[in-house]
Amino acid sequence: MTSEQQQVFSDATQAKGESVIELRDVDKFFGDFQALADINMNVGKQEVVVVIGPSGSGKSTLIRCINRLEKHDRGTIVVDGIELSDDIKNIQEIRRETGMVFQQFNLFPHLTVIDNITLAPRQVRHEAKDEAEANAMQLLERVGIPDQARKYPGQLSGGQQQRVAIARSLAMKPKVMLFDEPTSALDPEMIKEVLDVMVELAEGGMTMICVTHEMGFARAVADRVVFMADGQIVEVGTPEHFFTNPQEERTKLFLSQIL
Amino acid sequence: MTTAAPPVNQLTPLEWVRKNLFKNWWSGVLTILLIPLILVLGYRAFLFFFVNGQWEAVQRNLTLFMIGTFDREMEWRIYSQILLFVLAFGIGLGTNSAAVQDRAEDAGLPYERSSVLATVGRMWSLVVFLGILLWFASTDDVGGLLNPFLLIGAAVAVLLVGFQAFRFPRRLRSAGWLLTATFLVLGFQVVSGFDVGGWLPLGLTYGIAAYMVAPVGRFEAGWLRIVMRLVAAVAVVAVIRTIYALVDSPGIGWDEWSGLHLTLMVSAIAIVLAFPLGLLLALGRRSTLPAVRIMSTMYIEVIRGVPLITLLFMGQFILGFMLPAGTDLSAVSRAIAAMTLFTAAYVAEIVRGGLQALPRGQTEAGQALGLAPPTIMNRIVLPQALRAVIPAMVGQFISLFKDSSLLFIISIVEFLRVRSLVHTQPDFRAVSIAETLVFVAIGYWAFAFAMSRESQRLERRLRVTR
Repeated sequence: MTSEQQQVFSDATQAKGESVIELRDVDKFFGDFQALADINMNVGKQEVVVVIGPSGSGKSTLIRCINRLEKHDRGTIVVDGIELSDDIKNIQEIRRETGMVFQQFNLFPHLTVIDNITLAPRQVRHEAKDEAEANAMQLLERVGIPDQARKYPGQLSGGQQQRVAIARSLAMKPKVMLFDEPTSALDPEMIKEVLDVMVELAEGGMTMICVTHEMGFARAVADRVVFMADGQIVEVGTPEHFFTNPQEERTKLFLSQIL
Repeated sequence: MTTAAPPVNQLTPLEWVRKNLFKNWWSGVLTILLIPLILVLGYRAFLFFFVNGQWEAVQRNLTLFMIGTFDREMEWRIYSQILLFVLAFGIGLGTNSAAVQDRAEDAGLPYERSSVLATVGRMWSLVVFLGILLWFASTDDVGGLLNPFLLIGAAVAVLLVGFQAFRFPRRLRSAGWLLTATFLVLGFQVVSGFDVGGWLPLGLTYGIAAYMVAPVGRFEAGWLRIVMRLVAAVAVVAVIRTIYALVDSPGIGWDEWSGLHLTLMVSAIAIVLAFPLGLLLALGRRSTLPAVRIMSTMYIEVIRGVPLITLLFMGQFILGFMLPAGTDLSAVSRAIAAMTLFTAAYVAEIVRGGLQALPRGQTEAGQALGLAPPTIMNRIVLPQALRAVIPAMVGQFISLFKDSSLLFIISIVEFLRVRSLVHTQPDFRAVSIAETLVFVAIGYWAFAFAMSRESQRLERRLRVTR
């Protein structure tokens, strides 16, 4: 590695400016299996970080630790100045700051689209029904499906469902959005409509961590790309660095397999 | 592009017979063997029902089968009860039908409002049973009942009036449900009496309703709103208490009920009580608090390991030692307690199955949105889990309904037990017992089958498409 390359690499490991998410020395075990090993990373305000890596490398576990869907075993996680602890109040506060979009959408099938979106604002933020529904309609317009508001999730296509899921997360006005392979369960022709929404979100200045296999998305939108393997962060860099000049053998191997 | 209609596979009767009855040599043999068997059995059944059967024992004791030893002077209470229940049923049907229509319209799905006739058709087993009763009652020698045709006519009229609830505007949908609950309670109390202590069910219903609809919009502070809601609820409860205190007219307690009436009422009460208890036990068994979890698990496993008969006996003979001295519980109360405790354990396991079948992602989505654990349970997990277990749950309730016939072993005269009273009458001491037995069996079947059909409908209507 030349010193110039070294410089590029280390510059990119740190977020520029104020950081919204910070992970220090985070370890996570499932029984004896170490899912995350010594993770250090931070995400700056309005930054888009894309996490890639082979399956089982701990990408999903990483972002699920940030909103405590999984409990990390060692290290500290700070979200918007709040350190994640075992206190339920503290956890709730962090969850309100972070939206999450799942691979399987996880919409509530017994509620209409609009009820899916307004449930949390009404229950957690105690918004009035009219206010919450007006907000929800705005969000649905933003993701391009205002005409589906009174339908049930089961009546929508996969792409539409995932866009509803994004709108549902946005309704809580989160500071950070976590995407856990949002397009992996979609039919190919629907991937674009979801990615378009995500691109628009990123351009609007949302802070985002995306676990994804969409390299086109990473190239176009990411400020930084994080490559993980075997529970460790192997390499961090700008998309240009990553796709044109990867340093680590493990990264090269992975990229050669998927590109 | 032309749109093609799906291909029509209309079979001629001959083709149908060939395809379904004589598909290959062994199905042909089976058909040839079975058709005479079915014809013979059908003929025998016909002879029993319409030619040889001595139905007088049933016919002359129709009132006894229906209400047993219930005070004949008080029969009007039962008639009022039937009419009030039918009214509640009609209102519920109308409201439900309109609610389903609302939702379908919102979702842009086609929907045709179900008619009263469709509901009656779905419960055809009850119509058959009613027909049998009317057939017996149409002779003049029925012993007691008012003109049954008058009663049925009134019931049909009341049902149709109640069904008009579907005309309520949308914002009054919950008023429809409130009316349903009101007439159910009134129907129950028109027999059991409107005594001072009877305010609780209606008080609770209207108290909760008042809490929810209290006009608190003009108060800014959240705590003030809650206080004003509570004030409204308490005021409503106080009014209802006062009304009951003023009326204070005792009725016929459940110790004096019997016959089919007792069977139906006791089963309904035990079902209504066992459901919430079972739900709590299911949640308890999944609790993170070890004490709650262990207690719930022990309860469930102990009760499920004991026959219902044992519990019924224990209720009669042992419950007394465990309650404070001087507590005087009637035999029927003890029986209801035993049936409730027994069924709750099974309901708990059924609900737990539903909870376990729900994908983890549903809870996680709720957590990720920052919802509090009770909200996740009430708004996301339970609505889905309970829908999934409707068939098993109704199965358990049908079982409870039929098991109520065991009450005869603790000398309660329920529907089945009436037979033994009939066969002690001088006229019927020596006659065959088959007719009364078949009549009672048809009675049980009619209600159990109607419950089963209703559960199938609920299941279809509430089905969640993933």
